[in-house]
Amino acid sequence: MTKKSKNPLRVLGLVFLTALLAIPYAVQSDYLFHLFILICVFGSLATAWNIVGGFAGQLSLGHAVFYGIGSYSAALLLARYGLSPWIGMLAGMLASAVVAVLVSWPTLRLRGPFFALASIAILEVIRLLVLHESDWTGGSSGVSLPLDIGLQWMVFREKGYSFALAYLFLCVTLLAAHGIRRSRFGFSLFAVREREDAARAVGIDVVRVRIAAAVASAMLASMIGTYYAVYLTYIDPDTTFSLALSIQMAMFALIGGLGTVLGPLVGAAVVMPVAELTRAWLGSYGNGLHGTIYGIILVAAVVLAPRGIVGSLQQWMDRRSATGPSSAGSAGSIGPDGGTSGRNGQEGMGGQRGGIPVLRAAGLRKSFGGLAATRDVSIELMRGEILGVIGPNGAGKTTLFNQLSGYIAPDEGTVQVLAGDGTWRKPRTACEFARCGVGRTFQIAQPFSGLSVLENVMLGAFMHTDDPVRARASAREILAVTDLAPHADKEARSLTIGGLKRLEIARALATRPSVLLLDEVMAGLNPADIDRAVALIRRVRDAGVSVLLIEHQMQATMALCDRIVVLDLGAVLTCGAPADVVRDERVVEAYLGKGFSHAESA
Amino acid sequence: MDIFIQLLINGILLGGAYAGLSVGLTLIFGVVRIVNFAHGEFLMIGMYATYLLVTQAGLNVYQSMLPVALLLFALGFGMQKLILQPIMNADPHMQIFATVGVSFTLMNVALLVFGANVVSTPNSVNAEPWSLAGLSILPGQVATLCVSLLGALALRIFLHRTFMGRALLAISQNRSAAALMGINIRFAYALAFGLGAACVGLVSATLTTQYPVFPTVGSYFVLVCFVVVVLGGLGSIAGSIAGAMIIGIVDSLAGFYVSTGLKEVVYFAIFILILAIRPAGLFGKDKGV
Repeated sequence: MTKKSKNPLRVLGLVFLTALLAIPYAVQSDYLFHLFILICVFGSLATAWNIVGGFAGQLSLGHAVFYGIGSYSAALLLARYGLSPWIGMLAGMLASAVVAVLVSWPTLRLRGPFFALASIAILEVIRLLVLHESDWTGGSSGVSLPLDIGLQWMVFREKGYSFALAYLFLCVTLLAAHGIRRSRFGFSLFAVREREDAARAVGIDVVRVRIAAAVASAMLASMIGTYYAVYLTYIDPDTTFSLALSIQMAMFALIGGLGTVLGPLVGAAVVMPVAELTRAWLGSYGNGLHGTIYGIILVAAVVLAPRGIVGSLQQWMDRRSATGPSSAGSAGSIGPDGGTSGRNGQEGMGGQRGGIPVLRAAGLRKSFGGLAATRDVSIELMRGEILGVIGPNGAGKTTLFNQLSGYIAPDEGTVQVLAGDGTWRKPRTACEFARCGVGRTFQIAQPFSGLSVLENVMLGAFMHTDDPVRARASAREILAVTDLAPHADKEARSLTIGGLKRLEIARALATRPSVLLLDEVMAGLNPADIDRAVALIRRVRDAGVSVLLIEHQMQATMALCDRIVVLDLGAVLTCGAPADVVRDERVVEAYLGKGFSHAESA
Repeated sequence: MDIFIQLLINGILLGGAYAGLSVGLTLIFGVVRIVNFAHGEFLMIGMYATYLLVTQAGLNVYQSMLPVALLLFALGFGMQKLILQPIMNADPHMQIFATVGVSFTLMNVALLVFGANVVSTPNSVNAEPWSLAGLSILPGQVATLCVSLLGALALRIFLHRTFMGRALLAISQNRSAAALMGINIRFAYALAFGLGAACVGLVSATLTTQYPVFPTVGSYFVLVCFVVVVLGGLGSIAGSIAGAMIIGIVDSLAGFYVSTGLKEVVYFAIFILILAIRPAGLFGKDKGV
């Protein structure tokens, strides 16, 4: 996803948008205006849907709820109180935002089909309530809107003006989607969609990000709902709060390209005319035909081109630029030392080692059912030290690790972190831990695989800046330090295992942690990669970061660590300098059994 | 009290219809891990097929059960083979889109072929309600309940007593391990999809005695089935029967004591609550997240 490969697509996009505006005015036919209004309306709806369905990866099949709220707010305020639809539009957007928050709470944990089912159920509930509360909604007979002409009523004698308004709303929606996609918020959404755990490790508040996406999407859909209700001059519950409409929004987005900015509109612009023209030609005789065409196109798109039109185009461009000569894109890389010293200066605590703890865990207990995974574990990590945690399989290392980073809440005991301002904090969630300066990696690397290596690290950098340019710059520095600079623009999933482990570290470093928790970053590496990792961890420590690592790779651990904590059966067995620990009889026993220590001493 | 018992019986009989439909849905999910959004359209096709068999071929409703079930088996088998198998390893959203797309297509094809009119299947079988101690019972509903329960029982015997059935169970527990044991996963998926659709076929034939058929008849039923299946725990046959009975009774009681217009609101609210609090369903083990 280099800048170079993006540009032709951007030009193409602008040409497309201009054509969308120019064609109907050039032809001046009422039917064409109508068709293009439909494209704008459905393109906007699909774009709004895409913020939740594409960016955040939550497949909603109930998005007509927000469209319907927008339609009904404006229609009722206009028909009952004579208020301008512009006021109704605002009211509808506010109401939609509130509903989006309310609806998000119960459905946040749900994935895939379950989220889709819940969204359908919510749509049905609201539709039935609107039908039932006929006293103020008009029930199944719907609401007819009075025809007052003028901009303040959104109604015009000339179709050209209506179209201009539709195009304006389309632009607003597209700009919103574009802004989100480019911003830190957009990156966070992608991160949450791809790997929730890793997203929390870079300080993303998963719940808040999801709700924000739902609210943005709902408000946009609601805005379009108002416009279209006024354009149609009549609404009823069955066509506004409709499952078919919700499916259409999702379908256009899929056909155009899920998660792309322009895709949903392109999808609508390609499919809509085909279906509408067949409907117009065949009239009532073809009842159901345009639906059939929609359905077949949808199935075909899923099976043949799941990336959609824009997505496939992007992929094709990427491939072409990847084979081109000037693809490396490492022009702006910075010397290997620039990165660390920069971070070092900001933290202002390099060098002085020992004495002061930066992370304190006291009396941690955690049981899973009858199994006590940690039983009263207390450890301290000192400033500037490398502390190793070792122990046989099942000793509770990973459970401890997850408690130290907020992924598991301890049943008893506390974890305290010395924050940047010198106060002790007690973070609770993984995201709070990350924000207090605890960075972590995952034993099984969790790259955001659809993003580039650089973008992965940018996600970490976004914890300290809103500005993508700055995040990109500091991510480049980190890549240089972690020997990943040559791979910056590759997709993360193309890295080797050694590269993935370094990417884990790089992403954690980008959050500028004061404490770095490393979960088996050397497991499965070849000797050369292990040497690299050891050197990297030393450099990280020398830059002022305290490191706690879990490792099975004993040789490297012994060489790296200042102190070692040995866990066995969920409790601390011993703690001390590496040389003392390996000679401890209890440690040998825990690893190899009683017989071995006897045999050796005999 | 009498009215309460009558409502309870109505609810159980209604639950019978939901049970047969939901068993198919839950089998498909259990084995293939796909929520079949086109399930309602299977029902619609089954009902139209029954209608045609009764009016054109002169069979009675219950004689058409078998051919309709076979037709739907073929439909389900083919859908898995041709449309879903190629995208089994794609993003799960693609599978939702695919079944939604099939649903949309079938619904509109029906609209194209049969028109939007509601058609009733002429009933050659006795449909007079039985009166029993002041209670009124429709024989058609009893037949549906029996067919549903027998179908579920047969499915259970198949799953537990035959090699292929056990293979399906094995896949539902662990796909990769089952593949390592030499089970032909692709065939098993298609078989499960076919069987799930065939269950709908059996029930859809008997349902024509109680409901007219129209192109969107499936949407109404399928939403209830989703509620039932999630309530019972996706993938659990016994759970879906229990869920069907609960929803049948809730439907019947809420329709009387709350309001006919709001009975769906009641069980959709239950549905959202279950999804939010216990996505594994009342009887399920899997997590819905």
